Amino acid sequence: MATVLRENAGWLWVMPWIVGLLVFFVTPLGMSFFYSLTDYNMLEAPLNVGAKNYAEILRDEVFWKAVRNTLIYAGISIPLTAAVSMAIAGLLDVDSRLSGIVRLCVFTPTVVPLVAAAMIWLWLFNSDAGLINALLGLVGIDGPNWLQAQGWAMSALIVMNLWSIGQAVVIYLGALQNVPQALYEAAALDGMGPVRRFVHVSLPGMAHAVVFNSIIQTITAWQVFATPYIMTEGGPDRSTYFYSHYLYDNAFLFQRMGYASALGWVQIVLIGLCALVPWMISRRLWSTR
Amino acid sequence: MSGLSGRQTGAVRLMLMLAVGFVFILPLLWMVATSVKPEDQAMGAGLSLLPDPPSQVFGMAERNYRSVLTDTTVDFPLFFRNTLIIVLLGVIGAVVSSVVVAYGLARVPMRGRRALVVLTVGTMLIPFPVIMAPLFMLYSELGWIGTTLPLYAQFFFGNAFSIFLLYQFFRTLPSELDEAAQLDGCSTFQTFWHITLPMSKTAIAVVALLHFTYMWNDFLSPLVFLVKRDQWTVALGLQLYQSRAGQTPWSLLMAASVITVLPVLIVFVLTNRIFSRGVAEGAVKG
Amino acid sequence: MTGMEPEQLSATARSIAFTRRAAIAGLGAAAAGLLLFGPRPRDDTPPGRVVVDYWEKWTGSEGVAMRRLVDEFNATQDRIYVRYLTIGAIDQKAMIAIAGGAPPDIVGLWNFNLPAFAEAGALMPLDDLAAASGISRADYASGVWPMLMHQQQLWGLISTCGSLALYLNIDAIEAAGVTGDAVRRGPQTIDELDLLHERLLATDTRGRIERVGFIHTDPGWWSWLWGYHFGGMLVNTTGTQATALSPQNVAAYEWVRSYPARHGVEALQLFQSGLGFYGTALQPFLTGQVATTIQGPWLANLIEAFAPGLRYRAVPMPVEASVYDPDRPVGLLDGDVLAIPRGASQPEAAFEFMLWLQDRQRLESLASAHGKNSPLYDASRGFLDNHPNRSIDVHGQLANSERAFLFPRVRVWPRYVAEFDAGFQSLWQLRKSPEAMLRDIQAVAQSALDDAAEMRQLRARSDAS
Repeated sequence: MATVLRENAGWLWVMPWIVGLLVFFVTPLGMSFFYSLTDYNMLEAPLNVGAKNYAEILRDEVFWKAVRNTLIYAGISIPLTAAVSMAIAGLLDVDSRLSGIVRLCVFTPTVVPLVAAAMIWLWLFNSDAGLINALLGLVGIDGPNWLQAQGWAMSALIVMNLWSIGQAVVIYLGALQNVPQALYEAAALDGMGPVRRFVHVSLPGMAHAVVFNSIIQTITAWQVFATPYIMTEGGPDRSTYFYSHYLYDNAFLFQRMGYASALGWVQIVLIGLCALVPWMISRRLWSTR
Repeated sequence: MSGLSGRQTGAVRLMLMLAVGFVFILPLLWMVATSVKPEDQAMGAGLSLLPDPPSQVFGMAERNYRSVLTDTTVDFPLFFRNTLIIVLLGVIGAVVSSVVVAYGLARVPMRGRRALVVLTVGTMLIPFPVIMAPLFMLYSELGWIGTTLPLYAQFFFGNAFSIFLLYQFFRTLPSELDEAAQLDGCSTFQTFWHITLPMSKTAIAVVALLHFTYMWNDFLSPLVFLVKRDQWTVALGLQLYQSRAGQTPWSLLMAASVITVLPVLIVFVLTNRIFSRGVAEGAVKG
Repeated sequence: MTGMEPEQLSATARSIAFTRRAAIAGLGAAAAGLLLFGPRPRDDTPPGRVVVDYWEKWTGSEGVAMRRLVDEFNATQDRIYVRYLTIGAIDQKAMIAIAGGAPPDIVGLWNFNLPAFAEAGALMPLDDLAAASGISRADYASGVWPMLMHQQQLWGLISTCGSLALYLNIDAIEAAGVTGDAVRRGPQTIDELDLLHERLLATDTRGRIERVGFIHTDPGWWSWLWGYHFGGMLVNTTGTQATALSPQNVAAYEWVRSYPARHGVEALQLFQSGLGFYGTALQPFLTGQVATTIQGPWLANLIEAFAPGLRYRAVPMPVEASVYDPDRPVGLLDGDVLAIPRGASQPEAAFEFMLWLQDRQRLESLASAHGKNSPLYDASRGFLDNHPNRSIDVHGQLANSERAFLFPRVRVWPRYVAEFDAGFQSLWQLRKSPEAMLRDIQAVAQSALDDAAEMRQLRARSDAS
């Protein structure tokens, strides 16, 4: 008996978390599943409707549009941020005071509150007086009406997302630090220039971190909410209407808690599937090497 | 490229680094610049960072910021204090509970440890929007709607991300330390208190800082859970300030944004090393 | 760092660490100061009074006008104290608060919120209180009372209302050399409006649009209402059928489509992107870039604030020729209502304030400050003479017109209108035909209506059993 207790003393320590898991995750998830089988508006008692909400989701064009938008965003944004942040990490992978300062500059945007970032970029993207179109004007380009024009609004959000890649850069820098210096020296002896050295030595060094980052970003892409909610309200013509936004609207604007809960469960499944993609790609890459 | 001499590549790299740094900091610079201009100049498409004439800068700054801080419908000073209280309570709760839980997970014997770690990481994959509605109903059953409890209470029971970070850290500590302490007759708790904690100050600071930024920046939970305006956070205030019927001038909006960004930015600049270490050590806020 | 000696380096590092520490300490002190001495939620409630929390959407001068009335009420009271709070996205916030069991005592909703709130059981019906107080339908403009009703019950009292009309920027129109009937009586039919638009159309040397006579996207708040000006509507009178795909609606959206079709999607987008915001001096109607626009009477306040001296006139929004009738003008009547949430802690005191506000002088002073028409059946002479909007009689006439229309009175309106807004954007970009757009909207709206009806039946059955 005493040994059993001693061997399980850890459970005493983790007790608060067990309670936390039960109260703040298991219970709401259970409730959410129960609601997903009902018609529910928070005020009247939930009414059991079986799998109706799930069936409706499949026929719901807005759902498919939101899924499509989220996938487009993730599909462009994730490779793009990976490429840009790896390039920046490669660039900053030197020991100098300037590199330190630039790292600080690159990381700073990640601590800016999303709401404030949305305000700043609303202003930068302003078609008339915004900085971006003013800069484009300097080189003779008539900038688009970023946030109101079909096609451009999504691009604007993707560009804006590039601004907050600081965490990825720091992670890649960490990975680069683990690449043995000898590899670089060998590559230099082979006559490789800095760009080829980056491709042949630095990139493989960051591969694991890229997979890790891509999975994280896949998850966050499904949670994008504040930026489009504030900047475009999902428009124009729902071209920046993201999954979480649709879920929020169903829950709190349309008062369809049951439907929103079903959307939530579908979202969990979709995230799981999407997170598999970078993992599978990485398996593929490493097994063929 | 390989045709260039080392000096030349060095110069190219230098230029590129400067350009990258400038691009990333420019939006913030522009925000500050707009916040100290008169509105007609902010709306004019000029690229100047200073108002014209530049001597106006302090006068305009005073005018714009005063106008934001004394606005009657959006009480920024009050929202500031609210945010501070909520964030402090949340950080204290998360740090204290997560340290204990992570220590138990990492260094006290228990069966099923792996399963619990996997479960903990698993909760990070659950998008908040999925559970926000049932959480809301739960909180309303508890009578918490109308208070600020929904924003921080749960952190007193641990926070998955903080637990995971600390768990990883505690696992890297050499086990000889515990064994030596135990030989000296220390209980598990004494070992934790006298040996492990003092060695973990930096890791704890990392967790506290990451949780601080996460909470300061959070928009969706206050949006859903805070119903009384007296309890609003700065992020909500900023959104209200922007969304009211089209009359908010950009210069004032940028001043309000500066006010929102400033605290977290100062904390970050002062502690950026701890920050980058935390991120590099395995993690991004999920 | 390369040029530094080790001792020097560590000295620098130490001094940096020291400044950093000092700065962190300073920051901590500032935070502590804010916590200890910072602003608290203002509580200027006089002791011993019943506190009525009143949530309202208005900010700026509209909020000031209501606050003044609240202060006046509080000054006359020794029993009740009304606390006025501005809330953004008030309908969502109120619903959340009501569901969460922490509702205000009065909530200032948009009238189109009432059906959803009423059917969800979020509000207190007010029939008995209103009957006891002696106010009745006949006191108000004919469009007002229906705004407060849903399923034969009364759910709120009016605070302000405003009907939509077509505003003419006479300065811009005359500057373009257009005179005569177009200015004096304004366009009466859609064809006349199109004609006016063509005559006012101005482009620069590169062919870019500089001015339009009319454009459906200014201000772009009512993507759904054009069909009503062609004799159509969006739901049948019993609220069971969506009627988006009626011939009248198709005709209306053919007309909408004719603008991007005529000018080109890109050209219009370019033009729109150069327009200033609503509520600023650059608002396109005020600058004359959009010479006529559909707006409520509050526009007069913006003209006064940003373009004083601008000559303008309001006329009923033109309609399709076959439905034109000068005695029965067509226009949306919008309005703000005060309602009492279910679970409010002080419903009687809340109603007392709402009733106090129904006094002619108070309603008219509020309407006047907002630049809106009076919600009462007959506006007083003084109200009309001193009103900031010189076309206020047109708005008053609209509010009493039997063809004034309201937001569709159905619970699923938020979904219906979301569909309309998205559909309108695709129509405007010529990505969908009017029929296709309306068919899609019709399908979503009808299935939402059917679904809501089915749920209502199921609920009734499960309640009965």
